[in-house]
Amino acid sequence: MRNLNYFSNAYAAAVSAVDPDAGNGELCIKVPSELWKHVDELKVLKVHINFSLDQPKGGLHFVVPNVEGSMAERGAHVFSCGYQNSTRFWFPCVDSYSELCTWKLEYTVDAAMVAVSNGDLVETIYTHDMRKKTFHYMLSIPTAASNISLAIGPFEILVDPYMHEVTHFCLPQLLPLLKHTTSYLHEVFEFYEEILTCRYPYSCFKTVFVDEAYVEVAAYASMSIFSTNLLHSAMIIDETPLTRRYLAQALAQQFFGCFISRMSWSDEWVLKGISGYIYGLWMKKTFGVNEYRHWIKKELDQIVLYELKTGGVLLHPIFGGGKEKDNPASHLHFSIKHPHTLSWEYYTMFQCKAHLVMRLIENRISMEFMLQVFNKLLSLASTASSQKFQSHMWSQMLVSTSGFLKSISNVSGKDIQPLIKQWVDQSGVVKFYGSFAFNRKRNVLELEIKQDYTSPGTQKYVGPLKVTVQELDGSFNHTLQIEENSLKHDIPCHSKSRRNKKKKIPLMNGEEVDMDLSAMDADSPLLWIRIDPDMSVLRKVEFEQADFMWQYQLRYERDVVAQEESILALEKFPTPASRLALTDILEQEQCFYRVRMLACFCLAKIANSMVSTWTGPPAMKSLFTRMFCCKSCPNIVKTNNFMNFQSYFLQKTMPVAMALLRDVHNLCPKEVLTFILDLIKYNDNRKNKFSDNYYRAELIDALANSVTPAVSVNNEVRTLDNLNPDVRLILEEITRFLNMEKLLPSYRHTITVSCLKAIRVLQKNGHVPSDPALFKTYAEYGHFVDIRIAALEAVVDYTKVDRSYEELQWLLNMVQNDPVPYIRHKILNMLTRNPPFTKNMESPLCNEALVDQLWKLMNSGTSHDWRLRCGAVDLYFTLFGLSRPSCLPLPELGLVLNLKEKKAVLNPIIIPESVANSQEPVNNPNNHGQLIGFQSTEDDHLVKETASNVSVHQQGVKRKADMPLGSPLEPGQIPEKNEDSKVKLKIRFSNSQEEEEIDMDTVHDSQAFIYHHLNMLERPSTPGKEQSSLELNMLPVAAAPLSVFSKESNSSKHSDHHHHHHHEHKKKKKKHKHKHKHKHKHDSKEKEKEPFTFSNSPASGRSIRSPSLSD
Amino acid sequence: MADTVSSGSGTRSGGKHSTTPADNYYLARRRTLQVVVSSLLTEAGFESAEKAAVETLTEMLQSYVSEIGRSAKSYCEHTARTQPTLSDIVVTLVEMGFNVETLPAYAKRSQRMVITAPPVTNQPVTPKALTAGQNKPHPSHIPGHFPEFPDPHTYIKTPTYREPVSDYQILREKAASQRRDVERALTRFMAKTGETQSLFKDDVSTFPLIAARPFTIPYLTALLPSELEMQQMEETDSSEQDDQTDTENLPLHMSTDDSGAEKENASVLQQNASLSGSRNGEESLIDNPYLRPVKKPKIRRKK
Repeated sequence: MRNLNYFSNAYAAAVSAVDPDAGNGELCIKVPSELWKHVDELKVLKVHINFSLDQPKGGLHFVVPNVEGSMAERGAHVFSCGYQNSTRFWFPCVDSYSELCTWKLEYTVDAAMVAVSNGDLVETIYTHDMRKKTFHYMLSIPTAASNISLAIGPFEILVDPYMHEVTHFCLPQLLPLLKHTTSYLHEVFEFYEEILTCRYPYSCFKTVFVDEAYVEVAAYASMSIFSTNLLHSAMIIDETPLTRRYLAQALAQQFFGCFISRMSWSDEWVLKGISGYIYGLWMKKTFGVNEYRHWIKKELDQIVLYELKTGGVLLHPIFGGGKEKDNPASHLHFSIKHPHTLSWEYYTMFQCKAHLVMRLIENRISMEFMLQVFNKLLSLASTASSQKFQSHMWSQMLVSTSGFLKSISNVSGKDIQPLIKQWVDQSGVVKFYGSFAFNRKRNVLELEIKQDYTSPGTQKYVGPLKVTVQELDGSFNHTLQIEENSLKHDIPCHSKSRRNKKKKIPLMNGEEVDMDLSAMDADSPLLWIRIDPDMSVLRKVEFEQADFMWQYQLRYERDVVAQEESILALEKFPTPASRLALTDILEQEQCFYRVRMLACFCLAKIANSMVSTWTGPPAMKSLFTRMFCCKSCPNIVKTNNFMNFQSYFLQKTMPVAMALLRDVHNLCPKEVLTFILDLIKYNDNRKNKFSDNYYRAELIDALANSVTPAVSVNNEVRTLDNLNPDVRLILEEITRFLNMEKLLPSYRHTITVSCLKAIRVLQKNGHVPSDPALFKTYAEYGHFVDIRIAALEAVVDYTKVDRSYEELQWLLNMVQNDPVPYIRHKILNMLTRNPPFTKNMESPLCNEALVDQLWKLMNSGTSHDWRLRCGAVDLYFTLFGLSRPSCLPLPELGLVLNLKEKKAVLNPIIIPESVANSQEPVNNPNNHGQLIGFQSTEDDHLVKETASNVSVHQQGVKRKADMPLGSPLEPGQIPEKNEDSKVKLKIRFSNSQEEEEIDMDTVHDSQAFIYHHLNMLERPSTPGKEQSSLELNMLPVAAAPLSVFSKESNSSKHSDHHHHHHHEHKKKKKKHKHKHKHKHKHDSKEKEKEPFTFSNSPASGRSIRSPSLSD
Repeated sequence: MADTVSSGSGTRSGGKHSTTPADNYYLARRRTLQVVVSSLLTEAGFESAEKAAVETLTEMLQSYVSEIGRSAKSYCEHTARTQPTLSDIVVTLVEMGFNVETLPAYAKRSQRMVITAPPVTNQPVTPKALTAGQNKPHPSHIPGHFPEFPDPHTYIKTPTYREPVSDYQILREKAASQRRDVERALTRFMAKTGETQSLFKDDVSTFPLIAARPFTIPYLTALLPSELEMQQMEETDSSEQDDQTDTENLPLHMSTDDSGAEKENASVLQQNASLSGSRNGEESLIDNPYLRPVKKPKIRRKK
């Protein structure tokens, strides 16, 4: 039964079963029967959860460098991480974005450490022995548990010189970099506050830069956790815009994502869309319209490519209750019902599509209205957040799709429903094919636009479509109505094909230019045509026009998107005219640098196609010489001066593109290789203000690009003696560069990365014996992450090319054991992109053991990391497809019948069709890991508190995060002092390896049993259970009696001076005080009895032992 | 007196078998001194003296005279001369505590004995260093007492003229190949002295790669600019960054100072940070909770 269909159904069901959004939890609290009467009286029950977290595998990530010294000296730190709502990995909470409460957080850490968390740092107090400090945080803005985060380490502190309420943290020794990196942040703040006409919602903001970050940037309430690798000095050019982008992204998410949270998973697109959209506005302002449009184009191309490949990204999935049949994403190998079942790539594309759709909405209702809508959402939320005691108002801080759309229609008065229906409620993109003919008699342009809406990932588009036609007399916009059956559109032309030689030609932007019109068709006034120039449809356009039209478009159209499109189109027209157009663009300094960079590669391709007729020196060589070499000695490059970034980028790119040139023998021309080697030789950065590490890295890339497959005679073994002399030169350079890196490392080791890639290219082309040993040493833990990724990529490639089972095992082993979550994720990702084999492919690697291994990884090896699990699923899908892997032995049908009839032990080789297709919730023990992975022990009880109550029953809930998924549950700790608590939920599941432990009689029975339990979680049927569901599932279900819930995280002093045992392993101790309370609004008496429900002040006097994470 | 003389000659004859011309020279002078001492003793009324006593007195006299000579030489050199003059001797004697006034009277005393000058023996010849060329004679304006010119090879230079290298191309070429050679030599050396990896199984020396070694804190080497780059940045920045320093305001400078201290001792980072906070707070009124001092724990009363 190792098929993915089955897995993803079961997985989705398991995630559903513990989905906090749906009111399900992983920690069930059973109200003792003695307390039922209090519940009936609608009294407040206070729940206190003590727990410790011992060596968590997920949720918190510890980085402890293995050097001498104290933890602080070693730079050891810890931070919370995860994908979507993953806070429950490190403390018990209602881990839903829609459950808001205010927080009081306390962290006791070593005196040399700083604990950074959400909200305001109220005070820092030493412990009695003065060895530790307690950081007291107060977050008075209602916030979902999922937006709570933590970072502890010996951070260096930098108060932002422009905004004193903003504090930056970095690891020791990096302060100068931090200063430079964050020096720009205040401008981002100003920008967002200005466009949103709204102050930043939190009273403070913190940025923390940590090592081994889970993602480059993670936004939480009033703080963001970044990767330390984003830090850079003033000498680094390439990283600067990237880092600033991440900072801006993080800040956009502070407004939409942290402050305004989402109602449910299906509303996620609104938040991602808005934050991505305002981030785009920031990009436009900061980097200019060209960069912005280029980015939009790139994002659009990406989403189009992905949707066409996989079959669609759905922004707003609507799940009809029970109607499982019309699964909105049946084309995918995972369920999109939950964030935690999504493939990471899908989620990335989801975010990309969300902001593009937001841009479409802006196109429809204007930016002004758009910003008004955002402002409205924000001001409503901030009004609600200040209502301390009316938590029902807090729902204003949650955004839902319907609420958002309503705001739009209120503010703009426009109906955007069709747009929403097309792009949000429906997946797929539009694929246009356009061609045209000019009817000279009627002076009409006959445009034919076809659509492909049958391929996967496509949809039919009906509605307006803008077409821009550049004629001799000017540029004209036409809006066509795309309808069901109309393919042809007649567009009247304004100008006759006559030539008025002296006349300048007006462009779209009002500019008038002289053109050499000799190339164009004498009968037609058309210069070029563009379909949907503003990218107001999520589409792919394949348009046919003559080569000279593309050339005119490239030369004279001022929109960078049009220029890029024409460059790509010109690849198909290898003519001298194309060559000239591209060369002209390359030389034109006013032209956007990315267009020029793209033109380099196109020129290389054209040159290769024209190789037999090419005249003159290799493409770009004379251009490069003119631009970057000395006047007196053209073979020597000028000493580096990167003050002009545009020419810097061009200088970097040209050699890389040139190296792709090939001569008639399909070899890189000797001249080009010598040229590149000279560039390396004469490179001189002494007078430069900027580092040349990226430039040198690209020169190595250029060397790698010049490598062509070795001519092999009789499969001789590759040795030094028969090494090609050119390759010898290349190897010399690589060796020297790689060795120099050891002595003078470059920023982010860009040069090592390029060298490793180049070595792999040499191996692959048969110049150097193929051997993964070198890469494996560089892939080890302890190297910089970029190096590791490059080395791992080489190993992945080796695995594929050489079909090495050993290396595949090595990689999979690393997936399971590497300390860095990002690396583990990345290996799976790279294996998926460059798989050693795919389904329907014969490969010695495809065997049963591998299936088992991956299956196990999906089921039980990755319980602590959603992203990793989904990565494993992706890989499984790539390797084996949706159905049963072909390498497994064929199931014997008889066995199935036997299974069903007898009470035999389940033999999970196959799955009956019915089970696979019907989407019954989790029905096989194989897949229950998710359900129980985080709830290994649940002994919970409610404690009633009265006003005079002093003793609070408490007990520890021990969570073992490192417990593998699917292993049987352990009975919980025995409650310490209270007899009235009950260990209630003890589900015993086992994974496929331990089937004999299932104490079910038949398969059916077991399914029923599980189903029952799941149901029990969802819909408690007995009074007792109802209480537990009230406590556990604090989501306000409409039918549920509690309409108001206020939760406060109160802290109180310890009644007992409990000495926390110092934990050797982590050295950090966190006391997390966190308490949820439920108040029934209608009972006024209760209010009086429970005064502290109103106040945010600590419920002093209450003896509440805080849970300690690492006791 | 005769005894002493005979004994003195006896000493000489005793050591005769192994004398060199230089020894002879010194012995002759010493013998004269002995004669002087003996005559002085006679003058003072001694009939005879023990050999050892005479030797001691000779020794003392010799040291005294040597010291006078040495000091006198110093004085004369001090005044940039080569030959001591009478005044040098006088100053020396004064310096040594000798009453110079009494000297003429003493010299003219009646009973003084006249001793024959020591026999002229040849000045020992110091073996000449290899001479190259002829020493230059003093030009007319230099007094003859000045030392001779040293051997010509010590100061004569023979310039080897070449065209000054001003061609840009060659300069660049040279700089490039020089750097490349240095880099190659250095990396080869490193590779030879440490562990290496190789791309070819059968050959480890042609393209030796220094073995990859994991770092304990990899991000530090990856992110921090190398010293070379820092230096370079300082050089290139000095001109351009002037305008920037104006915009960077005071608190930034403050934290620059702190960073050094924090680096030195990470364990007291916290204290530093809080200290710097209070300093910052005073000087620029930044109120940031992370800069506030850490509070002392409250003492709790037991109920």
